[in-house]
Amino acid sequence: MIGAVGSLTLGRHVHALARGAPLRILSPRQEAIVVAASERIIPATETPGAAAAQVNLFVDTMLAEWFTREQRQRLLAGLGELDAHQFLDRTPTEQTAILDRFDAEATPDHWFGMLKYLTVWGYYTSEVAQTRELGLWPLPWRYDGNAPYPH
Amino acid sequence: MRRIRTDFDAIVVGSGITGGWAAKELTQHGLHTLVLEAGRPIDPERDAVEHVPPWDMPFRGLGDRVAIESRQPVQHHSLSFDEFSRRFWTDDVDNPYTTPVDKPFHWFRARQVGGKSIIWGRHVYRWSDLDFEANLRDGIAVDWPIRYADLAPWYDYVERFIGVSGRAEGLAQLPDGQFQPPMAMNCVEEYVRDRMQERFGRERVLTSGRLANLTEPLNGRAPCHYCGPCQRGCVTRSYFSSVNATLPAAAKTGRLTLRPYSIVERLQHDDTTGRVTGVRVIDARTKAAIEYRARVVFLCASALETARLLLHSKIANSSGQVGRNIMDHIKHTGVAGEITGWTDRHVIGVRPGALFVPRFRNVGASRAPFLRGYSFLGAARRSEWSDRIFERGVGADFKRRLSTLGPWAMSFRGYGECLPREENRCTLDPVGVDAWGIPVLHIEADWSSNEHALHRDMAVTAAELLEAAGATNIHQQTTPSIMGDANHEMGSARMGRDPKTSVLDAFNRAHDVPNLYVTDGACMTSNGWQNPSLTYMALTARACDHAVGAMKRGEI
Repeated sequence: MIGAVGSLTLGRHVHALARGAPLRILSPRQEAIVVAASERIIPATETPGAAAAQVNLFVDTMLAEWFTREQRQRLLAGLGELDAHQFLDRTPTEQTAILDRFDAEATPDHWFGMLKYLTVWGYYTSEVAQTRELGLWPLPWRYDGNAPYPH
Repeated sequence: MRRIRTDFDAIVVGSGITGGWAAKELTQHGLHTLVLEAGRPIDPERDAVEHVPPWDMPFRGLGDRVAIESRQPVQHHSLSFDEFSRRFWTDDVDNPYTTPVDKPFHWFRARQVGGKSIIWGRHVYRWSDLDFEANLRDGIAVDWPIRYADLAPWYDYVERFIGVSGRAEGLAQLPDGQFQPPMAMNCVEEYVRDRMQERFGRERVLTSGRLANLTEPLNGRAPCHYCGPCQRGCVTRSYFSSVNATLPAAAKTGRLTLRPYSIVERLQHDDTTGRVTGVRVIDARTKAAIEYRARVVFLCASALETARLLLHSKIANSSGQVGRNIMDHIKHTGVAGEITGWTDRHVIGVRPGALFVPRFRNVGASRAPFLRGYSFLGAARRSEWSDRIFERGVGADFKRRLSTLGPWAMSFRGYGECLPREENRCTLDPVGVDAWGIPVLHIEADWSSNEHALHRDMAVTAAELLEAAGATNIHQQTTPSIMGDANHEMGSARMGRDPKTSVLDAFNRAHDVPNLYVTDGACMTSNGWQNPSLTYMALTARACDHAVGAMKRGEI
């Protein structure tokens, strides 16, 4: 069954493609790996996760326009490494375990450090995270320096 | 064919924080005034981007790395430069300058209607006689030709128009002014203020930043709504800038002609009368040359652009002081410490400025082993997701940690006074020209041992403030700023009493040229420990009053 989050993701992705924003760097398979890996790093919980936030499109933009050629190749090689682990055929629990192993050793310059940074940045600056996860939008239009924090 | 007017009563070069004031004052005094701005027009309704959310930006706030590295390698060092505000800074390729390899200088520039008043820090502090008498007392450089009493009514006048939110503290070194209600401190900042008061009494005071951000309506401008990123513009005109306040007031008189895309290449000078007759302008888009004439000229082009223009025009420099005595505030990049508690509290909204600790070194009975002193900006905040991005973990637990606010930290950043020194100077580069063929500046300036001594002291006393507040895990970032980083470059055509040793007189008028005024940061005789823009504005309004009087008396 495709859950609500999954169909939302798919729908938005199709919508983005229909808008004329095709992927510039990622192949469809590489993109599927980014969608799956980013969703394991920031999964849907009571709020949507990285896949619903379309972190994959942000990753593609960054690969196309921001990173150097060497950085781009490093990250794409890392996606190939995940593919070699049959990442897309694994269960979510197995996927998380694979990523945990890379996370334990990754520096910010390691391909997994890059992917994790892009996932976190892309997620927490997305509309869904800024509104539903962080509650920063819509703007409050006021200042309260002593507001109750419910967490 | 419509005749284009080329004769005016007054010409103002630049439309930034001082140019806007000159435009307002001169037009309101009845002068037909031409304001020449090198950059493009700015319309807050169209150009302000403070409410654009990060998800609408292609790089989500990380900036267009390739474009920034290739076109704005200097400008991007400014604290208020970001993916959104980038449009308000100049292109470094079209506007180059040179420095010695071992003396980098960050020259932040904003060519557009409103200039740097769109992206300024908005902290506004009065000087006192501690500052105006400093050079005389220390035997440094030359004495200021004015004292606090000369400027106090003009501070009042400027504050009432721009709107300043702030708290009266009754401190001799920081005179109080015309304030709207201050912006609030958050719960931890109030705690730190009270602990500092217990330890240091009235010696080291933590007060609300005095900000040119409104807390009450003023002249059709709305109070601040705490959205946060002022450097991206302000569609409600809640912070003071030329485009938000002075230029509209000038336009209302019907006597303002504002010409964007107008790069002033040189001042025209009549050697027989010793006066300026007007300016020669290069149109930024067509590169066509145009000449304008006026009875009086105000240079409000920013400190170093003004020096460049005077040097290129070869006027007002019988003292040889044009381009010399460049100063900027030395910044301590930060001391921060954790404050335990208040984990059930957080901040809603973003206050547009930090808190302020006025200078306490070499004030009253304090005697420090260096000259002058410094201020601190301070703030308390809780750490958030972006502070923990490299923590270990993946999955739901990692997400929960990142989404939850972390502990509170209080931080202080120092701004230290720089001494005026002749060898800190700019000259015309013998070969380099900008995109319009105008010679560029060669800037050679660096900190002296006194600035380094201040900078070292900041780290010690900031840690003392944090210890008084019971902070733990105190860490310091102790690399001094590169000169220019504070965006407070000044001093390159100083005021003084003696035409042999200074460029401008007590009313900002060139000693050598009786119808030429300089009221931007170039005029500063010393650096102060405060943010300078309020003083620039007060000096400008006062100089305009003087020029109008001189014109009425037939002297100009």
